Amino acid sequence: MSKPKRLHPIVSILHTGKRIRNLLIPLLALNFSGAKDGKEQLWISLAGSFIAIIITFFTGILSWLRFTYRFENDELRIEYGVFVRKKRYIPFDRIQSIDLSEGVLQRLFGLVKVQIETAGGGGGEEAEAVLSAITKEEARVIQEFVAAAKDPEINTTEAVQEKEEIYKITTNQLMLLSLTSGGVGVVISAVFALLSQLDDFIPYKRLFGSGIEKWALHNLILICIFVFIGFFIAWIIALVMTTMKYADFSVVKTEKDIVISRGLLEKRQITIPLNRIQAIRISENNIRQILGYGTVYVESAGGSAANQEGANVTLLPIVKMQQVRSILEPYLPEYHFTYSFTPVPKRALLRYIIRSSFVVVPIVIVALIFLKVWGLLSLLILAVVIGNAVLKYKAAGWSLDHQQLSLRFRTVNRITVLMKKNRIQSLEMRESHFQRKRELGTIEANVKSGVSGAGGTVIDIERSDLLKIYDWYSRKKKNRDTADC
Amino acid sequence: MYSEPKKRISRKALNVWRISGVIKSVIGWSITALAIFLLHIFDGPFWISIILIALGVIFPCLHIFVFPVLKWRRWRYDVREEELELQEGIFIVSRTLVPMVRVQHVDTVQGPILRKYNLASVVVHTAATAHEIPALKETEAEELRFYISKLARVAEEDV
Repeated sequence: MSKPKRLHPIVSILHTGKRIRNLLIPLLALNFSGAKDGKEQLWISLAGSFIAIIITFFTGILSWLRFTYRFENDELRIEYGVFVRKKRYIPFDRIQSIDLSEGVLQRLFGLVKVQIETAGGGGGEEAEAVLSAITKEEARVIQEFVAAAKDPEINTTEAVQEKEEIYKITTNQLMLLSLTSGGVGVVISAVFALLSQLDDFIPYKRLFGSGIEKWALHNLILICIFVFIGFFIAWIIALVMTTMKYADFSVVKTEKDIVISRGLLEKRQITIPLNRIQAIRISENNIRQILGYGTVYVESAGGSAANQEGANVTLLPIVKMQQVRSILEPYLPEYHFTYSFTPVPKRALLRYIIRSSFVVVPIVIVALIFLKVWGLLSLLILAVVIGNAVLKYKAAGWSLDHQQLSLRFRTVNRITVLMKKNRIQSLEMRESHFQRKRELGTIEANVKSGVSGAGGTVIDIERSDLLKIYDWYSRKKKNRDTADC
Repeated sequence: MYSEPKKRISRKALNVWRISGVIKSVIGWSITALAIFLLHIFDGPFWISIILIALGVIFPCLHIFVFPVLKWRRWRYDVREEELELQEGIFIVSRTLVPMVRVQHVDTVQGPILRKYNLASVVVHTAATAHEIPALKETEAEELRFYISKLARVAEEDV
């Protein structure tokens, strides 16, 4: 298997296309401004753009020619680069996750994109190794190689292992997932970003004339309706997008890995070695929490800035919280899915309320003074903030379970993090002056996840509980728990 | 809190922090001066200038005289065979445990002020976090770096 191989030729077109797309807006801007200055200027800028596109095209082909990969000594060896030649060798047993995805273009040719993540790399833009388009057969071979390297006893020929299906999304669940996802915000912000980009090109003044303000004032209701329709469309788009993303979602456990596949248009398959799971995170947004559903993520040490999903892998996109244990415990026996959390003491409630409202209270007071009656509306904000603080207080809790620390807290969603002792990178307890007076404290545990860390922070837990957790993590005491450390 | 870590950082840290406090103050003053000048030109309200001047007095006092002492008093650390324990914080006291097996690499860092006093900071990196022990004697920092990296190497455990 040591012969250097190239990616599928389609890659050259793919990359060239991507680069030209990046060039498009600056080139358009250049030509627009050229057009303003007269015909000659326009011709010059057009010629310039043409040359730029030609150069991009050739470097695209060249970079495809130079990109080779091969397997040698249990390593994936990649060599690439047009002007600067680079070589990257990745030992198989350092691979944190393998991510297969099929975009539309890849699917047309029966190819897959392979992204390989290691724990290193850190700030890198992309995954440590990206094979943009190879045949499915090749991808399977890579997966087998990696599996074999991790466990020398399995030889590659009998790679067809027993597979157990952990989870498969049903149509109802898919609908529920799409309806309750927060994807709307993403779509709306994308639309706004696009509009602000186009702002320079669309001559609003010329389109609407100078009386636009007057017109707007007269048709306030019409505008409101338009905005509302806009939001509705954004919501529908978000709905369709989530549905496409999570359609056919299934989780399969092979001997040493968890394999997650999903997607309708863009198919995606992520392989995570079981022993590389850093932590398990369960997130419930408000609506889902009311309905008793949540999302389960797996924190992996892989992942990069561009590929967040390598670090933060969705394991169960939507699942009844009551069923999490029965679904996952047989396959992840190391983890205990506890339902009993020690809550933070009652006296913490006041601190939770004060902490979230001390920014808002001055605003409310100022609003009441200056806006008089309308200022009363600001009380509504205060009510929301306090309500949220109470929810945060209610969510906060912890649980210690032999080798596992579970923390529960609320940012916007209610989050439960399950961490094994030997995966926690560092543990911190904090006390402010006011906390000390009330014998409370904050606990923070960090695990590795992607580029940076992840973990959990629970504020205002009982001092004695704080010390208990700190003690549990500390390796100072020799006489306790050493056997299973 | 129960049984604090024992070791303290160098007393010279006080001087280092005071000098950096002075530098911060100078930067702060120049910004304040500019702001007051602009307020004067554009006939801004006088009370804003007064607040700015007051801040210009209080801020340096805190950063040159008060905080360094508090910070130094609080800073403790312990390097044990299996873990590193840190305690720091002026208003919020935090204590951190870093197991040796989780340490990925150790740096010593020395800026110009630290160098003047023959001090160095040790920065311990885990896969997810970084922890700094500021202002140790140069030799002590070197030793600590070697010591930690040696201990960290003993237990081979992967991410």
